[in-house]
Amino acid sequence: MSASHAVSADAHWGGGVSPFAASWQKTMMWIFIVTDALLFSALLCGYGYLRMISPVPWPETTEVFSIPFIAFMTFVLITSSMFMGTAVTAARLGDMKKARNNVVLTILGGLVFLGCQAYEWSHIIHEGARLTGALPGSELAHLGVPPQFPSSFFLLTGFHGSHVISGLVILIITATRTSMGKTPPQGVEMAGLYWHFVDLVWVFIFTLFYLLPS
Amino acid sequence: MSENASNPYKIYTTTWIALLIITVAMLAAEKFHMPRWFLVLFLLAFMMVKAIMIGGNFMHLRYEHSRIAFMVFVGILVTSLILFAFLTPEAASVLAKTPR
Repeated sequence: MSASHAVSADAHWGGGVSPFAASWQKTMMWIFIVTDALLFSALLCGYGYLRMISPVPWPETTEVFSIPFIAFMTFVLITSSMFMGTAVTAARLGDMKKARNNVVLTILGGLVFLGCQAYEWSHIIHEGARLTGALPGSELAHLGVPPQFPSSFFLLTGFHGSHVISGLVILIITATRTSMGKTPPQGVEMAGLYWHFVDLVWVFIFTLFYLLPS
Repeated sequence: MSENASNPYKIYTTTWIALLIITVAMLAAEKFHMPRWFLVLFLLAFMMVKAIMIGGNFMHLRYEHSRIAFMVFVGILVTSLILFAFLTPEAASVLAKTPR
């Protein structure tokens, strides 16, 4: 490397300068979010593949699910994201009480969403859905759903649901520590980034799995 | 960060309302009996609009350095397109061999 090159590299990477103009915590959080998004990208591409190669027509989701109920779940998650955004800004402005209250409202939204998902899972399992396909003679089998349908449903919503659960754990810790005055504003922001990501993934699952016509 | 100084929380309520309106429009779209290709295009376009609104306004990506936004969008988009590009011809070949 020539001397001029070394000087130029030092000027940008020699310490004290961030190429992303963000703290290392935020940069690492974004890198984590990108990697996690790639997981869901692979899952959604796999779902698309399974849907394309299905030997029987993909069922209309309106025949299997209550779309108004799924729309309500979407409403709850979007609303919880709004509370989370408010919490992040309140923390940045130093209003930690408002931040904590909005994190608590976000947690309530997450719990309602999880409750709805548990109800939806129990309902479809009751109708005969299993990870490997529909049970013979079940209501779903009568609808003629391909085995890929329940598999995709359980994998996509299961992975998303696990992210909601981990998001709730992070939010409960954040709310508790904020009450104790131990969470810096940046802590609320990191929790918020994760929660918004969970909301973002749902936007894709909601459209690609529930709304796309067969 | 250059958010609205008079009411810094306004962006969240306006984004929330916009997201709800878009969601209702997406749900109502199938009632209009439009051609399938148009409905799919409509749903995918609004899905992307919603994703950009959540990323930009809720996750504050619009206020971050452009390198972070570049890393996020290009990283996810390119990888997804590569996956899709490899899987689609494979699916087509499987379909061609599947008796219907």
